[in-house]
Amino acid sequence: MAAIYSLYIINKSGGLIFYKDYGSAGRMDTNDSLRVASLWHSMHAISQQLSPTVGCLGIELLEADTFDLHCFQSLTGGYLNPFIYLFIYKHTRYWFFLPSTGTKLFVVCEPGTQHMEGLLKVIYELYTDYVLKNPFYEMEMPIRCELFDINLSQAIQKDRVALLGR
Amino acid sequence: MQFFGGSDISPSPPAPTASGNNAHMMYVFNRNGVCLLYREWNRPLHTLNAQQDHKLMFGLLFSLKSLTAKMDPTSFENHEMCSLDKGNLGVPQLPGQGCSFHSFRTNTYKLSFMETPSGLKIILITHPKTGDLRESLKYIYNLYVEYVVKNPIYTPGAPIRCELFNTSLDQYVRSIS
Amino acid sequence: MIGVGKIKQYANVLETPLSKGKQEVSLSAFAFLFSELVQYNQTQVDNIAELERRLEDAGYSVGARILELLCHRDKGNRRETRLLGILSFVHSTVWKVLFGKVADSLEKGTEHEDEYMISEKELLVNRFISIPKDMGTFNCGAFVAGIVRGVLDSAGFPAVVTAHFVPMEGQQRPRTTILIKFAEEVLRREARLG
Repeated sequence: MAAIYSLYIINKSGGLIFYKDYGSAGRMDTNDSLRVASLWHSMHAISQQLSPTVGCLGIELLEADTFDLHCFQSLTGGYLNPFIYLFIYKHTRYWFFLPSTGTKLFVVCEPGTQHMEGLLKVIYELYTDYVLKNPFYEMEMPIRCELFDINLSQAIQKDRVALLGR
Repeated sequence: MQFFGGSDISPSPPAPTASGNNAHMMYVFNRNGVCLLYREWNRPLHTLNAQQDHKLMFGLLFSLKSLTAKMDPTSFENHEMCSLDKGNLGVPQLPGQGCSFHSFRTNTYKLSFMETPSGLKIILITHPKTGDLRESLKYIYNLYVEYVVKNPIYTPGAPIRCELFNTSLDQYVRSIS
Repeated sequence: MIGVGKIKQYANVLETPLSKGKQEVSLSAFAFLFSELVQYNQTQVDNIAELERRLEDAGYSVGARILELLCHRDKGNRRETRLLGILSFVHSTVWKVLFGKVADSLEKGTEHEDEYMISEKELLVNRFISIPKDMGTFNCGAFVAGIVRGVLDSAGFPAVVTAHFVPMEGQQRPRTTILIKFAEEVLRREARLG
């Protein structure tokens, strides 16, 4: 039983900095995962622009036929709030839309898996602890931190046990 | 920074045709990406003109479909069959092919999506707290078949201008919770 | 004046003693500061041994100051003069002030007479740090080793102090050992004192 299929972390410019697959059949190679990450980054930004009301921060949950995708966006780096502005040049109005872009993490899990928001928060905390506080980590670069890996697999394991118990 | 072309169309919102319901707007696209119908019930924010808005929406759906097909965690990717099975990102997926999606949610809206076997795409945008709308979309498709497809004056592929369809749609959408 | 209650009442707000304040420092704040210290020193060096030395130097001055402070505060301006005394002073008093706990263990080296080891399962400075593979056996505990050297040196026990990762059986993470190798003169003096 695998409730969680995979985890991605994307930096504020759309680069994949962490990808882990938890034994799903659809494991991706490096190139594909990079492409998926940057595509998700732009889809996330476009979804903000198509919002019928102001203040949209992008997709939080995508429900596909065979999986759910939960996305969490931190408010660090990039633009914190999406905003729209206008300037007029030679009597023509130009509209600019700046989507909010922060570090994004998303998990791919079985359809209908509950409490993923909580897990994403836990993972984000691990990221701030074991990645951002590590002097050997360069911002926006791929994450290669042993302590992050160890604590992450513990958190996922714990979540799995909790799921089985529910 | 993203740049979205110039326009001299005023972005001020038109008066909503109906208010006090959960639905914001609806799109219907045919398989070639032509917007057959765009209904708007409650949309205070316009960042683009109508044409660009439709293009962007179709592009989003197209890309999300190819993303979900690629990400499908339940089907094994056979490298020789790769192009047939999961496709490459950006390569069009036939209706019903690969893993698709039925909705996504942001903090301000929920988008429900349905694709019919003929490639017709129905998109309904509602309040983020609305539940599963798959059945509602099927009902709307039903309305489309009844009032548009069976209408002898309607040419397939042309924008939908059927009074009967619009009124029954408005009426039905108001009942969605 | 007859006491009103158990708590002494102060008539004037100016007579109230200042609160002792919080004794603890935020771990995050420390972790970020330490991370910056390491990153800054990394820009100043071109090899790992040099980085280790710089971290140790930074710790050395902390150690020298801590000895002054603790001798004044806890020992009534007296300091330890015997080898085991100063070692247990480092192991307990200094460790408590720095990390809020006594070090996990203090051992005598088995191979050499002049070697002692203070070990810690998870050294506070290493809590959030993962050493990249290309840096080999580098340990940020060099900073703590520097503190220990600072304390010992200022107390009149010159020594060479280094930090090492020691793999533990049944543990995912190695522990950190601070290895203390005393100078010859210290041992000679110790022998004279009997």
